[in-house]
Amino acid sequence: MALIEMKNITKDYYLGETVVHALRGIDLQIDKKEFVSVWGPSGSGKTTLLNLIGAIDDPTTGELIIAGKNVKTLTDDQKSEHRNKTIGFVFQGFNLVPVLSALENVMLPLQIKGVSVKEARKQALVRLEEVGLSELIHNRPSKMSGGQQQRVSVARALVSNPSLVIADEPTANLDSETARMIIDLMRELNEKDEITFIFSTHDQRLLDRVKRLVRIEDGKIIDGAN
Amino acid sequence: MLKWIKLAFRNILRNKRRSLVTIMAIGVGFAAISLYHGYIYDAYEELRWFAICGEEGGYGHLRINKAGWRENGKLEPEKYMFSKEETGKITGLLREEKGVILASPQTQILGLVSNGQTSAVFIAQGVVPKDEKFIEKFWFAKVGFIPDGYTTALIGERLSEEKNSGVLMAKDLADYLNMKPGGGGVVMLQTLVGQTNAMDVQVSGVYDTGNDFSNDKFMRFNFDFTQSLLDTQSTERILVLLADWKETERMRAHLLKKFRNAGIDCEIRTWNELSMIYPNLKSFLDTIFVFVSSIVLVIVITTIINTMGMSILERTREIGTLRALGLKRKGVSHLFALEGAVMGLCGSICGVVLHTFVWILLRFFPLKYIPPGFSVPVDMRVAMVPWALFVLLLCLILLSTIAAILPARQAAKKNIVDALGHT
Repeated sequence: MALIEMKNITKDYYLGETVVHALRGIDLQIDKKEFVSVWGPSGSGKTTLLNLIGAIDDPTTGELIIAGKNVKTLTDDQKSEHRNKTIGFVFQGFNLVPVLSALENVMLPLQIKGVSVKEARKQALVRLEEVGLSELIHNRPSKMSGGQQQRVSVARALVSNPSLVIADEPTANLDSETARMIIDLMRELNEKDEITFIFSTHDQRLLDRVKRLVRIEDGKIIDGAN
Repeated sequence: MLKWIKLAFRNILRNKRRSLVTIMAIGVGFAAISLYHGYIYDAYEELRWFAICGEEGGYGHLRINKAGWRENGKLEPEKYMFSKEETGKITGLLREEKGVILASPQTQILGLVSNGQTSAVFIAQGVVPKDEKFIEKFWFAKVGFIPDGYTTALIGERLSEEKNSGVLMAKDLADYLNMKPGGGGVVMLQTLVGQTNAMDVQVSGVYDTGNDFSNDKFMRFNFDFTQSLLDTQSTERILVLLADWKETERMRAHLLKKFRNAGIDCEIRTWNELSMIYPNLKSFLDTIFVFVSSIVLVIVITTIINTMGMSILERTREIGTLRALGLKRKGVSHLFALEGAVMGLCGSICGVVLHTFVWILLRFFPLKYIPPGFSVPVDMRVAMVPWALFVLLLCLILLSTIAAILPARQAAKKNIVDALGHT
């Protein structure tokens, strides 16, 4: 059974009286353990697609099943629980909480889940070690480089052992060497922990590092749907 | 829970200046309410003892009259006064009560006082001098001070058993008649049977009633002298002092029952029913308290809503991130509510410190003022009432929490994608 199943998904935005068709009939299947890159030019619908898969936005029409759950039928609270347990997010701008240390940022998803501080700390330390930041656990984001912040972000995405990690342009704010390191790190974790990774990019230099490419243009998948 | 409180503290420290201003606004609001409450609390305490011990010579906690005195006593005084035997019986029954510390007979008279050239109407309380001293000591023990001239003579001597015809005269009346301590005069009034009676008096002292309305007509006589003037052995009323003022109502009911069983038909009124100042002033000050508190609380709530609104606006993207990580809408509200509560707590603690500072300042450097209707200055004091401070602290924390929830609920409802895209 596919981890993600999208059937004839459309997404429209309304800008005043103008309707923007961001996605136009997407059919996509992604299995467990896959390492997928969604790529295409700016405005092609990459972010919209990832938002729908991440259950932070709703499709206008179509059926979206993630980890066996029809996202459209879930209430807002159920979606929150679903995201917390099933999905990890890596954001383009890192989106770390500035008043928390690296360790506390990584502990956050577990604490939202209600895991005890002791247990959350233990699991967060393991993930921070995996991303090579054991020495910087008490540093706040403002005291870390962009690459270090993104590695904290990756650790945070992985800490609750999700089935799926979604990364929207995770390398956009990084230099090319750090970008390659982040993608290599994600791929390593994908292979080690068998977690499905989906990330969007428009940087063609990174595409040779992925296993599957989904190409999107004008809200339609051009290549790699299945 | 502790981790979220820790996070709330850190979020408050993000914009130190803004948070400090908000906390100070809460603190000043807290202090404004608590100081005003402390002031009226102290004022009520003093007014209560003034009514019991000082107003019109003191109403006592309870005043016992023969049944019907209030309606008909002025027309048929003898019929509605206690006979000598009844007075003895009542004071005997009162002495049996543990909660009663004084039972003193009193009679009020009206008449004319003359210095030989000019006459003036007077109202005099006939009191037992040694009981008057006891009331004064009791009053002092309760409030720690007695405003100058209430029961002690301003000039001259106080009433004494030895000088039966010695009288105290209120200062404006003495001024009007140009009478000074040691000076003599004549008082004239009707006895209970309607005959005119006149007797020489000597002014022992001139005192201040504490009230502008009574200073030009009040006098104080020896109780025995009053009886001589009225040519009677009867007593108009019996003043009762209790050990605990909170027992007033219970003791009234108890004594009414006791006297009824003893065959004494009487009416008992409490100090707050008799006082002309306490209920009116209390009602007035309570109204101002509600008015002032409402304004202060509105300002405090508006400040918190504004601060939290700005904080939420700045952290919209962070809210989006937290929601994406799985925090529910109510979780976002709780987070900001906690920040509001922490600010409310910090502000209230500042308020308690400010209250304590003013409390100490007024104890060492008391301000004096003359309340409306009073003739003598009193100290402005502020009471330290721990339970009131605690209740106010809880109220402000609760209000701060609610004030923070209002904008937070709006933020929590925001679309996650929009929140993440907020710059």
